[in-house]
Amino acid sequence: MDQRSDREPHTRLVRPTVAYSKGMENLRLAIAIAIAKSAGFLSKSLGRGSGETLPGRVLLTLCPNAIELLSASRVIILVSGTNGKTSTTKELVTQVRTVGTVVTSGSGSNLTRGVAGALMQDSVFAVLEVDELHLPSVVAATNPALVLLLNLSRDQLHRMHEVKRVASRWHEMCKSADPSTLFVADVDDPFVNYAITGAASAVRVSFGAASGGRHPDGAVCPSCGRYLDWIEGKYHCECGLSNEYADHTYESGSAGYRNFVLASIAADMVGVHNSISNIALRTDYRGMERATEKVFAGVKARLRLTKNPASWTEALAGVVGDNVILVLNAREVDGIDTSWIWDVSYANLAGKKVVVTGERGADLAYRIHVEGVESTLVDTFDEAIALFGLGSVEVLAAYTAFFGLVNR
Amino acid sequence: MKIIRIHNELLGTYGDRGNADVLAYRAGLAGISTRVIDVSYRDAIPHDGDIYLLGGAEDAAQILSCNALSGGSLHGAVEKGAVVLAICAGFQILGKSFYANNNEVRGLGLLNVTTVPGTQRYVGDIKIHSDLLGIDLTGFENHGGKTLLGAGAQSFGSVVVGHGNGESGVDGAVSGNIFGTYLHGPVLARNPEFADLLLSRAHGSPVKVDDPLADHYAALRLRLVK
Repeated sequence: MDQRSDREPHTRLVRPTVAYSKGMENLRLAIAIAIAKSAGFLSKSLGRGSGETLPGRVLLTLCPNAIELLSASRVIILVSGTNGKTSTTKELVTQVRTVGTVVTSGSGSNLTRGVAGALMQDSVFAVLEVDELHLPSVVAATNPALVLLLNLSRDQLHRMHEVKRVASRWHEMCKSADPSTLFVADVDDPFVNYAITGAASAVRVSFGAASGGRHPDGAVCPSCGRYLDWIEGKYHCECGLSNEYADHTYESGSAGYRNFVLASIAADMVGVHNSISNIALRTDYRGMERATEKVFAGVKARLRLTKNPASWTEALAGVVGDNVILVLNAREVDGIDTSWIWDVSYANLAGKKVVVTGERGADLAYRIHVEGVESTLVDTFDEAIALFGLGSVEVLAAYTAFFGLVNR
Repeated sequence: MKIIRIHNELLGTYGDRGNADVLAYRAGLAGISTRVIDVSYRDAIPHDGDIYLLGGAEDAAQILSCNALSGGSLHGAVEKGAVVLAICAGFQILGKSFYANNNEVRGLGLLNVTTVPGTQRYVGDIKIHSDLLGIDLTGFENHGGKTLLGAGAQSFGSVVVGHGNGESGVDGAVSGNIFGTYLHGPVLARNPEFADLLLSRAHGSPVKVDDPLADHYAALRLRLVK
């Protein structure tokens, strides 16, 4: 950390290294890591997958408290929320790397086994994205220095059931977390704000009035159940839950911008110099989107991950061209119920050339049809791409479809 | 034709707002002009609506909506013969009582049903057979309540796949022009004949809409939910 000797790291976030006293436990852990690593290597070389989650799974089987043991000697930073986990984690890793070694979890391996897998490598910091429902157990196991809470909105309701349910679990988690754990939270989201009311230490971040208006699922106060009235992005419940007070207030902006700001504040808290002052310098947040460019059969495609009402709405607002492919699947991680597609407005696609595909393409084709957007419905992505000659196209793809396209 | 979408900010958790959009769209194809009126929690419920729609919700929202409706605003419209379609939490609100946040809550009593906590959460694709329509319907259910029919109450359909009202093998309830069901989807998007039934009831004469994409989608879901 010599490059930033002009400033002391945030003292309460740097934990003393815990020396293992139990030699046998260390030996068991070391053996478990060795076996888990070779299992991952073997699986990769046999072509049985990316080798990302298998080592973690093997490690946890052989040594169930591996996460506790491997967390004890480093600064743990966790990132969770419905949308923006992966890009925010990536940004945070980039920033934290300027002050020390970092391990991180690969995208899509944000369950407990992914966390265990990431921690097998030595480092000063671990920056990990964690699934919303798994966050409480990961917080308990890792005793993190900092937890960045981005947002909560409807997603995979067959699994999450209700947004309130996830918020309540987070609230309990904040209450029972070690008092030294610092929660950095976007309080414009009432669910996140409710969660941190139980926290001993929290940094409240707000993006001012009209930051996207009211939360789409925020009509009821998650704390007391009263009706929550919103005035230009601001709410104030009789019970006291409100985003009118914050430790940091920034201008409103896109989801990518907000997540960049939150990552920078978190980075500052763990001792990254200039991270907050850099916020003003950055103007382009396209790198914060879950997007990538790729050529399919001569057609230049810009792929964007869209997985729930909030991320679809954000992605649709970013469509600039006249050629669009929409891909909808409904596998487990996509959410097996597609009813939510009716909560998104696709009106800005009217007049564009729209092709719909995916395992649940018919659901989406009919939904946009009712909104006056006509499309061509085809069975496969290759058929869809073939309809665009040699031009370029914007592709909005559900979770499994997005990764299917990125990885092929 | 006035379509009243009640408290969507509270009763909109599971995409049921689409039922109003489908009704308006199909009515348009049939040459019937419609207006979808969103009534929020702070607004009074209009008495002159032709179709009233209630959707699924989380517990706290369900209680708020029910309290706002308990003044009797919906009763007046029902007495005038308005059509009501209520899904999931909305269906439970129309009954005599339901449970939310572990407390028993008094419902509007427009349907002779009571809802109690179920033995499990009922989540997944659902298919029911409606004798009224003479066809199978599909949807998606996601609820923790078990609904019991009162004496003489009529179910909406018999369960082919899934759970519906719980373990009793039936889904929903029907009384005159009031329809309650656990089918999300939204149910009228996946079952255009049901949409046309509601339009016919509200219009006072048979409405039959021709929309091949809607039929294709409905047939596809029927084939896949088994």
